[in-house]
Amino acid sequence: MSDALATVEQTALRSGPIAAGAGRRILRSPFLLVGLVGVTVIAAAAAFAPLIAPDDPTAQNLANILAPPIWVEGGTTDHLLGTDVLGRDVASRILYGARNSLFVAFSAMLLGSSLGLITGLLAGFFGGRVDSILMRLGDVQLAFPFILLAIAILGVVAARPAWLLIVVLGIPGWIVYARVVRSRVLAEKEKDYVAAAAAMGAGPWRRLFRYVFPSVWQVVPVIALLDVGFLIIMESTLSFLGLGLPPPAATWGGILADGRRNMVVSQWLPILPGLAIVVTVLSINLVGDGLAAVFDSRHIHRGLRRPFSSSVPSASPVDTDSEALLSVRGLHVEFPLPGATVKAVRGVDFDLAAGETLGVVGESGSGKSVTASAVIGLLDPPGRITNGAVLFGGEDLARFSDRRMTTLRGRQIAMIFQNPAVSLNPVLTIGFQLREAIRHVTGADRHTVRHTARQVLVAVGIEDPDRISRQYPFQLSGGMNQRVMIAMVLAARPRLLLADEPTTALDTTTQAQILNRLVELTEAEQISLVLITHDIALVSEYADRMLVLYAGEVCEFGPVRQVISQPRHPYTRALLESVPRVEDPAERLQVIPGELPDPRRDRVGCPFADRCPHVMDICREVTPPRYDIAPGHIAACYLWASEPAEAVAT
Amino acid sequence: MTAPLLEVRHLSKEFPLRGLRFGRHRGGTVRAVDDVSFDLYPGETLGLVGESGSGKSTLGRTVLRLFEPTSGEIVFDGEPVTADNAAGLRRRAQIVFQDPYASLPPRMRVRRILADPLLIHEIVSPSQVEERVASLLRDVGLSEEHARAFPHQLSGGQRQRVSIARALAVEPSLVVADEAVSALDVSVQAQILNLMKDLQAGRGLAYLFISHDLGVVRYMSRRIAVMFLGRIVEVGPAAEITSGPLHPYTSTLLAAVPKVGPQRTVTRLDSDHPAPARVDIGCSYRTRCPMAQEVCETDRPELVEWAPGRRSACHFALDVPQRLQASLPVPGSAG
Repeated sequence: MSDALATVEQTALRSGPIAAGAGRRILRSPFLLVGLVGVTVIAAAAAFAPLIAPDDPTAQNLANILAPPIWVEGGTTDHLLGTDVLGRDVASRILYGARNSLFVAFSAMLLGSSLGLITGLLAGFFGGRVDSILMRLGDVQLAFPFILLAIAILGVVAARPAWLLIVVLGIPGWIVYARVVRSRVLAEKEKDYVAAAAAMGAGPWRRLFRYVFPSVWQVVPVIALLDVGFLIIMESTLSFLGLGLPPPAATWGGILADGRRNMVVSQWLPILPGLAIVVTVLSINLVGDGLAAVFDSRHIHRGLRRPFSSSVPSASPVDTDSEALLSVRGLHVEFPLPGATVKAVRGVDFDLAAGETLGVVGESGSGKSVTASAVIGLLDPPGRITNGAVLFGGEDLARFSDRRMTTLRGRQIAMIFQNPAVSLNPVLTIGFQLREAIRHVTGADRHTVRHTARQVLVAVGIEDPDRISRQYPFQLSGGMNQRVMIAMVLAARPRLLLADEPTTALDTTTQAQILNRLVELTEAEQISLVLITHDIALVSEYADRMLVLYAGEVCEFGPVRQVISQPRHPYTRALLESVPRVEDPAERLQVIPGELPDPRRDRVGCPFADRCPHVMDICREVTPPRYDIAPGHIAACYLWASEPAEAVAT
Repeated sequence: MTAPLLEVRHLSKEFPLRGLRFGRHRGGTVRAVDDVSFDLYPGETLGLVGESGSGKSTLGRTVLRLFEPTSGEIVFDGEPVTADNAAGLRRRAQIVFQDPYASLPPRMRVRRILADPLLIHEIVSPSQVEERVASLLRDVGLSEEHARAFPHQLSGGQRQRVSIARALAVEPSLVVADEAVSALDVSVQAQILNLMKDLQAGRGLAYLFISHDLGVVRYMSRRIAVMFLGRIVEVGPAAEITSGPLHPYTSTLLAAVPKVGPQRTVTRLDSDHPAPARVDIGCSYRTRCPMAQEVCETDRPELVEWAPGRRSACHFALDVPQRLQASLPVPGSAG
């Protein structure tokens, strides 16, 4: 299911520039906007301090000391924020203070981040001794209270030039960058593209700087931004302690210290630089957090509403097979993504009788997984059913509330996925999870639950259920976990089981064992099974009927034997001919030229028209109706129209 | 026959089992590749099949010296490949990986991805790089416009074509294809397989074609080697192996492949087998083998030639066809 959304996202992102989306997200985040405005104003104030400051920040006027700010009684427009104990203009000093604080903090950040970036790259990429030495150095650094070190160094130096302050503040920061960069490098260097670079002869330095570096440096700016905020506070602390830039240079910490000494007379004096520090650091942090969120894809869907089913327009009266347990009619599913709406399923219909196995075949983008998720009401947000009906035992699930679906899921309808490990809790034993699931759906007493748990494990082919019960999911193979999942869902005796690529991640021999069991069990228990797979051979082996989907539309539907031996849709035929077979190797595989149509576009005509060897003019103009080939066998292709012109009219 | 392009002799690759404390080795090792020998001839495809954990990918990477072998010898074009002259191998042997999303550098445009190997090996002068990139793209069925794209702007099939173009840039004589089509949809998979066949015919490439999919391997290969727990258990001509295997494991693999046809064929349930154990003595397949006898517990079967060109590591190789074919279901019995 997450696969389906990944595909959808992939398609959406492939052609749309990511930057545009980021721009929109910035505008939609009020905190980030406030932060950006704050940072811009403060940076401009610092940069243009000599132009906008009303006075020389060091010009003393002992005749007018500790003048109050303008909004306090006695304040004048000459000194908007008043004067300090030496009669210097506070507004000018705060502006110049911004200049000094930001310069020191920013330079220190550049120094620390460069050092950290380089050491992180080297430690992560070369590992071994380089890594050990650098990281142990980092541990020492972290264990030592760096503010004490800074005070010690700065305390013994009489003249404290700006560069010394920058070095003392900047160097200790390296370890933060180094650690994050190192861990990113460790993850990145294991990827195949780095191995491929090695295979084509790129040396270690080339691999590091041309291949790994471009993928890891992006972590630095966000840390750097937050670091600048921290460094401004550190710089102010040192200045406050009299260890910053030597007087008469204006610093926020210095003004604060002056103000503290005179706060009885002039309460505003310590508050103003304090405010400057708070506003600056807050703005920087808002920007840092905001940018991290904007560029973190996990946040992309935040704020999009969950699917909400009551909005589904009432389905037009439909003729349904009264025998059918599940009847899907005219199902449409859309994913409104930023910038475009992906129409993943466009009018899918099928029926499934009790105890029957339906194979749903299609390639990625065919809408096969999305269809299943829609049936069980587990569409990934922002997906939603926009039209159609999902009739289960005569009731339309598409119109069920979330709460009603919850009571149905796991009891009447169950689903298993490609990766069972994700569906199992890693910190609970298999037995506990299984018993919990059984107790939840059946409400039976402990003894019965224990007995049932054992029974279902044996039923799915686990020979020593007691040992397996005591184990955790990570201790078992993928095949074993999938058996457990099947045991878990079958314990509830659902009427319908949706299996989405249940064996795709498993070895062929394990796949055969598991599917044999699954089909046996569902047949014995009269459970309807929907087997979703990209592998048409699997469907041919295990299903009774099959549904071929392409680009969200139905191509062909019918009894498996008949569809396999007499495929009537050119896509089904092409699919069959493009699978390499062990038992009957082709001299040359048939190839379907071209690619899937864009899932975001509205389209007319047959979705397969552009890739079809039999394409006719009409195929591009009018969506083909489904023609009856034989009882229960339909194909959406004009090749089966008795008279094409007639079909146009309908 | 001509001399082999690649000769692999008694190749083994062990990985240390890392303890949790301080990343220090705790002595144990896993033998991912265990005493493997094979030859690969110029222009030939040797298919390498096996299930996950069989060591087939490790073997492919060790052959290219992306992993340092623990022991054994690799001879490429008559020259033993050592740690010192592995650089020469980089011009002659290349690799194409499975995951088209992880195997291309995410922040490089296609042009730079393809230009880099050309520049490293000074295959063309810098002024001709552009032209060569364009011709590589054409060779793999892409157009010059794709040179400007970043990998994330391409589809899975297009990315895999770029990976192939990158491998071809150095004009290699051997390409290791490590599950190169496993992540692709069947229709795209067919396109890439045919492309690889065409490139092979046009350039006389040899492929070491690694895949878990017997159908794909059968389609691509002249010979097939079957791996189980780090060892080659059977090797021989593709058609013969798939029609009459001489190792019970190959036979099980073949039976488990779902087939397109009017009947259900995958019905023979191997007893739900225990996880295979790595054993020091005897045959490592014996715990799953329906034919296992006493001798299988004591003597490790060597990979020996039982029929012309057909080698199998089974004490009872010649019994496999009768014994196991007989237990296969009658077609249609369960359909």
